[in-house]
Amino acid sequence: MGRPVGSHINGLALLILPSALLFALFFFLPIGLMAVMSLLTGNPVVVPHIAFTTKHYQRLADDSYYLEVIWTTIRIGLWTTLIALLIGYPLAHWMARIKSRAGHALLLMAVLAPMLTGIVVRTFAWMTLLSDKGVINQILLSLGLIEKPLQLMYNETGIIIGLVHIYVPFMVLTLTGVIGRIDERLEQAAENLGASPLRAFFEVTLPLSLPGILAGSLLVFALAISAYVTPILLGGFQIMTLPILIYQQISANFNIGFAAALGMVLLVISFMLVVAYNHMLGLVSGQRELQ
Amino acid sequence: MTSASRAHLTRRRLLAAGASLGLGAVAAPYVARAEEPVLNITGWGGKWGDVMSTEIGPAFEKEFKCKLRTDTALPFLPKLQASSRAAPIYDVLHTNSNEQWAAAEMGLVEPKVDPKLVPNIADVYPYAASDKIVGISIFTSAIGLGMRTDKGYGPITSWKELWDAKYNGVRGGYVIPVNSLGQAFVMMCGTLFGKGQTDLDAAYAALEKLKPIKLVDFTGAMEKLFLSGEVGLGVIHDSGIYRYDGQNQPIDFVTPSEGVLSLEQVLTITPGSKMKELANAYLNYMLRPEVQKRLAETVWYSPANKKVKLEAKYDAKLLTTPEKVSKLIQVDWKWYNAQKDAIDSRINRIFRA
Repeated sequence: MGRPVGSHINGLALLILPSALLFALFFFLPIGLMAVMSLLTGNPVVVPHIAFTTKHYQRLADDSYYLEVIWTTIRIGLWTTLIALLIGYPLAHWMARIKSRAGHALLLMAVLAPMLTGIVVRTFAWMTLLSDKGVINQILLSLGLIEKPLQLMYNETGIIIGLVHIYVPFMVLTLTGVIGRIDERLEQAAENLGASPLRAFFEVTLPLSLPGILAGSLLVFALAISAYVTPILLGGFQIMTLPILIYQQISANFNIGFAAALGMVLLVISFMLVVAYNHMLGLVSGQRELQ
Repeated sequence: MTSASRAHLTRRRLLAAGASLGLGAVAAPYVARAEEPVLNITGWGGKWGDVMSTEIGPAFEKEFKCKLRTDTALPFLPKLQASSRAAPIYDVLHTNSNEQWAAAEMGLVEPKVDPKLVPNIADVYPYAASDKIVGISIFTSAIGLGMRTDKGYGPITSWKELWDAKYNGVRGGYVIPVNSLGQAFVMMCGTLFGKGQTDLDAAYAALEKLKPIKLVDFTGAMEKLFLSGEVGLGVIHDSGIYRYDGQNQPIDFVTPSEGVLSLEQVLTITPGSKMKELANAYLNYMLRPEVQKRLAETVWYSPANKKVKLEAKYDAKLLTTPEKVSKLIQVDWKWYNAQKDAIDSRINRIFRA
């Protein structure tokens, strides 16, 4: 007789083992350590006589400033995701449906080209455009359209512009794969039944591409809320986000426990948003759960 | 058979000998260095790092038959904080005074240096070994005002001119929670507008009135703002301006009449260091007049050793006499660090966009 099914499953499970171990080692272990550190009075490896405490979380709850920082971080993440989606979706749709191979290759290169340059370089490039002495302000001043430089950076707008530029490719690449797998005949069938192209898009293509929207948005949101370089350079240290605050706590205040507590709060909030977003998209697409 | 066997053995021996020689050649420097004592220190990059790695460091290694291993990747203190107290990653910590005080409070560095083990301490200016210093200060810079000389601002003599509305849009300062100059400036605000360094309410009110202001996290970024003209008047230390001496840059350093703040370069020894003797020798070496002179004339830091004689152009600008040194205002970092969380929380609010 043939081998039992269970042995096949065990064999496959062994193949997953290295990646599972890697995931445990580089994700669960650091997160677990961070959770523990956020509840201790010091580092148990180097400091004797440490105890459990909730003082770091108490400090977070007692000072509304930290809640404002959390909200600023989430707000920047949401705006970045929304704008990246609005820019990325049409581009991804075009890439997925373009018939010409050369055209597809050119579009793919256009999307990937910015990723060949480092984030720091791209952010500095934005600074040369947006600063008081930057290209945009100098042109507007020389044309006499403005009398003093516009405040294009050192604010949330500048940060969002920089983040959108950096993360749009992630959105496009995620969406292209999903939209490309949607059978075009479904749209054609809808149009044959009397739907306009726009209605066919909204009632057929868009719902079917929701898994891609979800995946791309979560990816961009996660990257945006954890970004450090772009917010610090384009925000000019005047916009405080959680990653900046966490780094500040470690590098200048030497308060690892509080930094860990901030990290845990960011993780929990992100997780809650992911669950809520997933649930919302499930409802919109008419599915109970997105598979 | 004999000849075949000999040929076989010869080839094997040849391969083994070749491999041994190759491995030996690769490993020899490491084996040789393994026997050398290694002193782990921290230090700056840039010109400081260049002269340390090409001249000052090798000369120390040759004289004391050791190896200097320098970490220039900031931040130093969190790395020291994460390492074992019994086997710290650094033997000598070189950083600014505010971080040295924090390190001393955490027991990461020894608060004082023994003058018997570092005899050159006898020759330093009083500020370098005062009760405001943990360890020993080997250099200082003067924190004052930097200005563009091509904007027609006129003579600037006081810190208070930074609050003049005509500098709105071209005013520069530091990110206070992460920068020593910014933190020292808070204390200066208390002195200028209140009862003294510790008058935080007066400092907060003054900082509120300082907006709009461009903030940077380190002096290199401030220098760029001055050079590009984005900042016309701002807080900076003298070295950040003087290092462009002779390059025809329209920038100058202003020593305000109220005094300049001291930005000390401080060395301390870690309690768990296994290289205490060498660490003390390093501190003494860094205070030698010839070493002080070479570094001072490279990076425009004012030497702590009174016996140092600098070239005329450096002597004219740096703090090299008791009279000039008397203008230095030292900050009570112990007090500041104790309030740091509260200060940061308030100041982050003040400067948010």
